[in-house]
Amino acid sequence: MIEVSHLTKEYGGRPAVRDLSFVVEDGQIYGLLGPNGAGKSTIMNILTGYLSASSGLVTIAGHPLPEEADQAKACIGYLPEQPPLYLDMTVQEYLTFAAELKGVKRSARKDQVLHAARRTGLEEVLPRLIRNLSKGYRQRVGIAQALLGKPQIIILDEPTVGLDPAQVIEIRKLIQELGRTHTVILSSHILSEVQAVCDQVLILSKGQLVAIGAPEQLSETLSSHSVVHATALGTRDQVLAAVQSLPGVEKVEVTPSFKEDEVNLTARSATGEDIRADISRALTAAGCIVLSLTAETKSLEDVFLELTGAGSDQANTDEPEDAPDEDETQSTQDAPEEKEAGDDAGEEE
Amino acid sequence: MLAIFKREFRGFFHGMMGYLLTAFLAASSGLYFLALNLGYGLTDFSYYTLYRTIFMLLLYVPVLTMRSLAEERRSRTDQLLLTSPVSVWGIVLGKFFSMCAVFSLACLLDLVMILVLWALGATATTLAANLAGLLCYFLLGCAAIAMGEYISGLTENQIIAAVSSFSVLLLAYLMPSLRSMFNAGSAAALAVFTGIAAAAALIAGLRTRSLTLGCGVFTLLCMGLAALFVIQSTWLTEAFSAVLEALCLFTPFEDFVNGSFSIPALVYYLSATGLFLFFCGMSLEKRRWN
Repeated sequence: MIEVSHLTKEYGGRPAVRDLSFVVEDGQIYGLLGPNGAGKSTIMNILTGYLSASSGLVTIAGHPLPEEADQAKACIGYLPEQPPLYLDMTVQEYLTFAAELKGVKRSARKDQVLHAARRTGLEEVLPRLIRNLSKGYRQRVGIAQALLGKPQIIILDEPTVGLDPAQVIEIRKLIQELGRTHTVILSSHILSEVQAVCDQVLILSKGQLVAIGAPEQLSETLSSHSVVHATALGTRDQVLAAVQSLPGVEKVEVTPSFKEDEVNLTARSATGEDIRADISRALTAAGCIVLSLTAETKSLEDVFLELTGAGSDQANTDEPEDAPDEDETQSTQDAPEEKEAGDDAGEEE
Repeated sequence: MLAIFKREFRGFFHGMMGYLLTAFLAASSGLYFLALNLGYGLTDFSYYTLYRTIFMLLLYVPVLTMRSLAEERRSRTDQLLLTSPVSVWGIVLGKFFSMCAVFSLACLLDLVMILVLWALGATATTLAANLAGLLCYFLLGCAAIAMGEYISGLTENQIIAAVSSFSVLLLAYLMPSLRSMFNAGSAAALAVFTGIAAAAALIAGLRTRSLTLGCGVFTLLCMGLAALFVIQSTWLTEAFSAVLEALCLFTPFEDFVNGSFSIPALVYYLSATGLFLFFCGMSLEKRRWN
């Protein structure tokens, strides 16, 4: 378990993380989500003891930092943003070195190295120099290194950056597997990844925690207003008149459909309550037949963009491309670039 | 610590570096040994070989130490070390001992030369004096390595680390001559101390971002110096000379070359080593808090 309370980190007077408090429970996969420069890596570096907090308390599995740093570090396996690899060593040598560094006993070292290599699919490249490995393999060596010493908590900083789609899926599978036996914290600016892998999401913006919760829960509860889309048989005026008079409705838009006699209706509730039943009743009473009626649920992406303030126009342009197939690798490959463009725009504001 | 020591030591011999450096030092002392000790039949190895090739350390040590911490920082592998359950001191000492081990290989070759002299008929007293000289030479090298490691920890760039350590070692090497230049009078000492006071005030002012504090510190220090200059100007010159003497890293070794043994010299090298390793650990620790 990791407890963080009122954590603040300043770089030369400029705050990178401000007054952050959260608790990471055991046995779950946590996702740190945020645009570039939101403080994800800083938080991870503080949790792993690489950096010290300017103020605030961090406790790793009951060991406060930095007082009991060595015990706390022994509970954590960490893959930094750039895997910390010695290029002049072979994978086997490197992993053995990392195991020794983490205090793995001589007798257990070989088994643990082999086990970590097997889990990350590195068995074939064990005798090769890290210098000669591709980016994907290097990333996996970094993950294998984090598994050594059997840490309770595994922290991965952007584990899938720069990997090809097949590798991304493999790494995600590995992370989900790890989540069964370890507490995993990963950071990402790719929404689909977090949505696919994590049990809990922490959304960060400009060094502050703006939301925490399960991905579905976030999408549901964070939509402050609910929007209903409906298609009805009838004229524009008829429909408009019927819906506008409803007490819970804040804003109504009616647009003609492709078919004659049909109109599309978009209504927004003022209180955030479900207004589908009211709309259906009102339309039926006005003599319009309701053909379809759906409540718009916000995707995590909308929540993310809204909370991190990455521009509403950006949200509109992003939606049609990303929304339909978020779990497919194609979209994962597109997502980072688009997100980054969005983030940059957000930071300039 | 042991893991870091082993990795570093192997690292030197994975590439050319370890072999090249050892060969470089062995060649220079071998040449002097051949020409002077063997050629002229002189048995004093400490003076004729070690003392005369000591300037080789000016090149050897910076190249040996430049990688140690700078490269870790550049390739971000320091994240692995600093997030593993090994203390900062374990990292600093592991690296330090590995470099000392590489240096000791060259010293072992020197030991062979000393034993050759003994086999060729040098007396037991000369043997003892030569061994004592070698011990002091090794400790001098270790102090220089600790200094180089500290400088390497300050930068990400190996070249900057190497050039800086070379400059510092060169300054220490030339310090005896520089010292005699500065010994002229207390006015020169006053000027230099004023300069140091100005630097201290500047650092204080920049750290706290307060002009008043910087100026205040400078005024106070200058007043103190001026008072000292008027009342007891000899203190100033003596203090100045003592400070400069402490910076002559290579001078205490001279105590060993005439067949004598000097405990203060050994203590000086051991404390210089300890001091720089302490600085090195502190600078690593400080980076966490920046």
